[in-house]
Amino acid sequence: MKRTLTVCPYCGTGCSFYLVSDGGRLVGVEPSTTHPVSRGGLCVKGWNAFAFVHHSDRLTTPLIRRNGTLTPASWDEAIGLVVDRLRSIQQRHGYDSVMFSSSAKATNEENYLLMKLARAVFATNNIDHCARLCHSSTVFGLAETFGSGAMTNSISCFDQTDLILVIGSNTTEQHPLIGTRILNAAQRGAKLIVADNRRIRLARHADLHLRHKNGSDVALINGMMHVIITEGLMDRLFIEQRTENYAALAANVADWTPERAAALTGLEADEIVAAARMFAAAGRAMIVYSMGITQHSHGVDNVRCCAALSLLTGNLGRPGTGVNPLRGQNNVQGGCDMGALPDVYSGYQKVADPLQRQKFARAWGVSTLPERAGLPLTHAMDAAASGLLRGMFIMGENPLLSDPDQAHARHALENLELLVVQDIFLSETAAMADVVLPAACYAEKEGTFTNTERRIQRVRKALDPPGEALADWEIICALAERAGYGGMRYSGPSQVMDEIASLTPIYGGIAYDRLDRHGLQWPCPGKSHSGTPILHMESFTRGLGRFSPASYRPPAEAVDDEYPFVLTTGRTYFHWHTGTMTRRTHLLDREERTAFVEIHPDDAGRLDVRDRDELLVASRRGEIRVAARLTAMVVPGVVFIPFHFAEGAANALTNNVLDPESAIPEFKVCAVRIRRVV
Amino acid sequence: MKVLYPEHIPAFFTALASRFELRLPVMLSDGTRTIGSLEDGPIALMGGAVPGKPTAAFFPQQGPVFTAVEGAVLPSSDQANRLFVAGFTGRDIDCLRFIDRFFADGWRDDIYFRQRAGAVIAGVSGYCGPGGALLPLIGGGCDLEFVCDGKCWLVLTYSQAGEGIAAELPDTDAEEVLHQIRIESLTAANEGDELIQRASQLLRANRVPDSFWSEIGDRCISCTGCNLACPTCTCFGVQDWRYANNIERSRMWDSCQLDGFMREASGHNPLGSEALRTRRRIHHKLAADPERWGEISCFLCGRCDVVCPTGIGILAVAMEMVDRFEQETIR
Ligand code: SF4
Ligand code: SF4
Repeated sequence: MKRTLTVCPYCGTGCSFYLVSDGGRLVGVEPSTTHPVSRGGLCVKGWNAFAFVHHSDRLTTPLIRRNGTLTPASWDEAIGLVVDRLRSIQQRHGYDSVMFSSSAKATNEENYLLMKLARAVFATNNIDHCARLCHSSTVFGLAETFGSGAMTNSISCFDQTDLILVIGSNTTEQHPLIGTRILNAAQRGAKLIVADNRRIRLARHADLHLRHKNGSDVALINGMMHVIITEGLMDRLFIEQRTENYAALAANVADWTPERAAALTGLEADEIVAAARMFAAAGRAMIVYSMGITQHSHGVDNVRCCAALSLLTGNLGRPGTGVNPLRGQNNVQGGCDMGALPDVYSGYQKVADPLQRQKFARAWGVSTLPERAGLPLTHAMDAAASGLLRGMFIMGENPLLSDPDQAHARHALENLELLVVQDIFLSETAAMADVVLPAACYAEKEGTFTNTERRIQRVRKALDPPGEALADWEIICALAERAGYGGMRYSGPSQVMDEIASLTPIYGGIAYDRLDRHGLQWPCPGKSHSGTPILHMESFTRGLGRFSPASYRPPAEAVDDEYPFVLTTGRTYFHWHTGTMTRRTHLLDREERTAFVEIHPDDAGRLDVRDRDELLVASRRGEIRVAARLTAMVVPGVVFIPFHFAEGAANALTNNVLDPESAIPEFKVCAVRIRRVV
Repeated sequence: MKVLYPEHIPAFFTALASRFELRLPVMLSDGTRTIGSLEDGPIALMGGAVPGKPTAAFFPQQGPVFTAVEGAVLPSSDQANRLFVAGFTGRDIDCLRFIDRFFADGWRDDIYFRQRAGAVIAGVSGYCGPGGALLPLIGGGCDLEFVCDGKCWLVLTYSQAGEGIAAELPDTDAEEVLHQIRIESLTAANEGDELIQRASQLLRANRVPDSFWSEIGDRCISCTGCNLACPTCTCFGVQDWRYANNIERSRMWDSCQLDGFMREASGHNPLGSEALRTRRRIHHKLAADPERWGEISCFLCGRCDVVCPTGIGILAVAMEMVDRFEQETIR
C-alpha cells in the first residue's frame, strides 16, 4: 500500500487527496483532511478520480498513420517524424503555418515547455489552449478593468461574505466543493441571488432567482447599476479613491431604467430593483460567474459589467467580496499563467514588448523571438479550414467535440497536412491524427496545477505510466532535442519550475520545496513571500479600478419560425468535458450514459414528446439525435444539451461566432428546431 | 496486564511487520491521518477515529474479483501475510461485527473473507481521542485493545492471537487507572446514541414527512462521500475491463445517493430524486436494518458527518429530525 498526495484532475476548485495504490495499481482515493479548499471532502468526480487510470483503452505506444491506419511505432520514429514534418511545413509555408495547442489538463511545467517549444524552437507565437473557449473573455475584461484576469478573492471568502450573486455558474455541479461553500453560506444566513434561467440547485436556496433570457446579462447588470446609482446606493468613497471613468459608466447606465432592462431580460422591473437593492445593501458581496457570462459573442462586455457592479459597490480588495470567475479546468489558470496564449509569455508578459522578448530570448539562448502575436485557437481552426494553417500539434485536447460547429472543426482538422495529437486515450480528435503520442496521466507524473483561486499545488507521481507512455513534459523535451535545441534538458519538473520562477514575477517565489503542504497563491514575487489570497487590497494591479461601460448587443443568432428554440450548452455533474476519462469511469458513466436534451414539459407537450423519446435537434449547422429529458429545470422555449457525448455532440449545433475582442465562441446561445424521431 | 510505552511503539510495530501485513493509524505528510502502513508516515495512534473506514483493509474502494484468461477464471489472490489492523474505536468494532454478520449470512462474500479471515484486530480507547478526549473502553470484539491512560498504552487481550502479540511486552499494574477509565466510559454521555434511537423511532412511526426529505435532499450534491466513509455501507458495483489477452473483473464501493444505483432497465428510477435517495440512506440504517438485523446499523462513528461537505451527515439529520418532529407531537 502506498499513498500519494496529489490534486484532483477535474475542476479548477483544486481539491486535494491521496491516491491509494497497491502493487502498482490504484485502489482508491482518500481526501486530505487538512486541505484549505476541500477540507476532508470531495465531489463524486474526485472520489472516482483514480478509476480511469488503468482502463484498457489507455494509449501505450506511439502511433503513426500508415495507409490510412494508425499503427504502432517507436518513439524514435514518431518524434523524428513530427519534427521533420513540422519543419518541412514551416520551410514551405512560413513559421506561422503551424499551431500548437496546449492543455489546461496538463501541468504548469508542461504548458510552459510547450510555449517555449513553439516560440524558441519553432519560432511562432501560434500557441493557445482551451482557455480560449472558457475564460478568454475574463482574462481580457478583468485585465482591462483591474489589471489582472484572475479570480480576485479566495475560496475561503465564501465563509465570510454577506451576499453571493451567482450569475452563469451551475456551481454545485461544475465546481461542486465551491458550490457547497455557497450552500453553507446560504444556510448560515448569507443572502443568495442566482441569475440563471436554469433552475439549478443553488436556485432552490436563493433569496432571489432571476431567470433572465439567455444572453441578456448586460441588460440585467446595467439595469441593476442604474437602480444603484439613481437610489444613491453606490460606495462613493471607494469610487472616488480607487476607481476611474465613473462618469462614463454613470452616463452609460443613465437610460437603463429597470423597465428597459426588464423588456430585454424578460424579468419584471421589480425583480431587477430588488436585486440591485439587495446587492448594494450587503456589507460584503461576492460575484461568482462562469461560462454563462463568458461564452457569448459579447463575453467581454458581460465581464466588464460584473467588474463595474463590484467597483460601484466597493466590493473589491476585502475578504468576502470580489469578482470571482470560477476557472473550469484543473489547470486552466495555470495554462494562462504559463503563457500558453498567443500574445503573452508566462506571467502575462507581452510578446509585443521588445524588452520582454529580449529577456526570454536571452534566457532561452536564442537570438530572436517572434514579435507578432499568434493565432487564438478559434482563429486557428478557421485558418486550417481555409488552408492558411497546415500543421497542428495538439496536447491533451479534443477539439472535435469541444469546439463550436463540429462540421467546421472536422473540416479544419481534415484539411491539415499534419495533425499530431498527444493524449492518454484515443480521443475523437486523436483518431483523426497522423501521429499519436501516448502520454502519462496526472497520477503518473510530477508537476503543479494552479487552481481557480491562484493556488499553485503539487501533483505527484503515484505509479508508472502504462506501456511506453511518457509524461507530456518528457515528450516535449524530446521534440526540442530532436529539433536540435539544447535548451530543454531538465532533471525534472522541479527544475522547470525554477526556470519559470526566474522569468515570471508573479511566480517568482515558487519552488517545489515551498509548495509541499497546501501550495501558495500567486502573486508570490519572492522566496520569502507567503502568497496573496486577495488581490487589489491596497491598489489595483493596474493602479485604479476602471469602469468600462458596456452597451447591449443581442446574441448573434435569434430564434425564428424555422428554428424556434434557444439552445444553450454546458456540462453535467458526472462527466468532464468530452468524457475521455469520465465515460471510462464506471460509476460516473452509469449516471449519465448517453446524450440528452433538457426540454420543458410544456414544450414537450406541444411537440407530443415523452420522457426518453428520441429527438432530432437541428440548427443551421447540423443535427443530432438525443433523448428527451422533460424537466422544469429549463424555461419554456429554451433547451439544454451537454457537450460530453460524441454520439449526440452538442457542438454539431453550436454557432462558431466569436467575441470580437477575446475570440471566445458563443456556446451559450443558438437557435434550433426539434422533432420527435418516429 | 501488559503495557506499551510510547518510546517502544515504533519498535513494537516494526517487529510485528515481519509476521503480519500491518495496517495502523499513521500521520501522512499533510497532517491527514489514515490507516496505512509503516512506510506511509509516523504512527499516530492518538487522535480518535481515522477519517477513512478501517474496514477498507478487507474491502478496498476498488479491488479485483477475478481475471479471465483463455477460458479460465482466476480468483483474486489471497493476502500473502495475515493482516494486522489497528485503530478501530469501540464504535468501529461494532461496525465490523455488523458487516461480518451479513457478509457471512447466506451468500458468503468470499473476497471479503479472504482478507478478513485470520486478521488480527486491534482497538484503541482511553484518553486518545481528539485533544486527549476519552474514547470508551471496548472490552472485546477484537483480539487486543490499546488503552491510553494519558501517558502509555495498557494492552488488554481477548484472544490467543492477541495474547501472542502482547506476550513480549512488559507487565504493569494499572488496575486502578483502568477502573477509572471503565467508570468514565460507562458514564460517558451517550447523547448521540439516544438521539439516533429517537430518530429511528420517528422514522419507524412514519412521523417524518416527505417535505423534510426534499429540504435535506436539496442540500445533497451526490458526492457519495457519506456512503464511502461509512463502515457499514458495503454496497458495490462491478465492472469488466478487456485487455488484449484477458478480462479483469473488479468491484468498487457504490453509493445509494447515486441515481444509477436503483435505476431500472427501462430507465425509470423509483428513487429518482435526491430527496428520495437521502430518505432511503437514512431509513435503511435507522428503520430497515433494525427490522432485518435487530439493531440500528449506524454506530455513530461520525465519519459521514465529517466528510459531508454540506452538513447533512446522519447525526446532523437525526438531530434536525428530532428537533422538528418530536416537538410537533408534544404540541
Ligand atoms: S470539486 Fe472539483 S477539484 Fe474538487 S473533487 Fe470535485 S472535481 Fe475535483
Ligand atoms: S456526503 Fe452529504 S452531499 Fe455527499 S452524498 Fe452524502 S449527504 Fe450528499
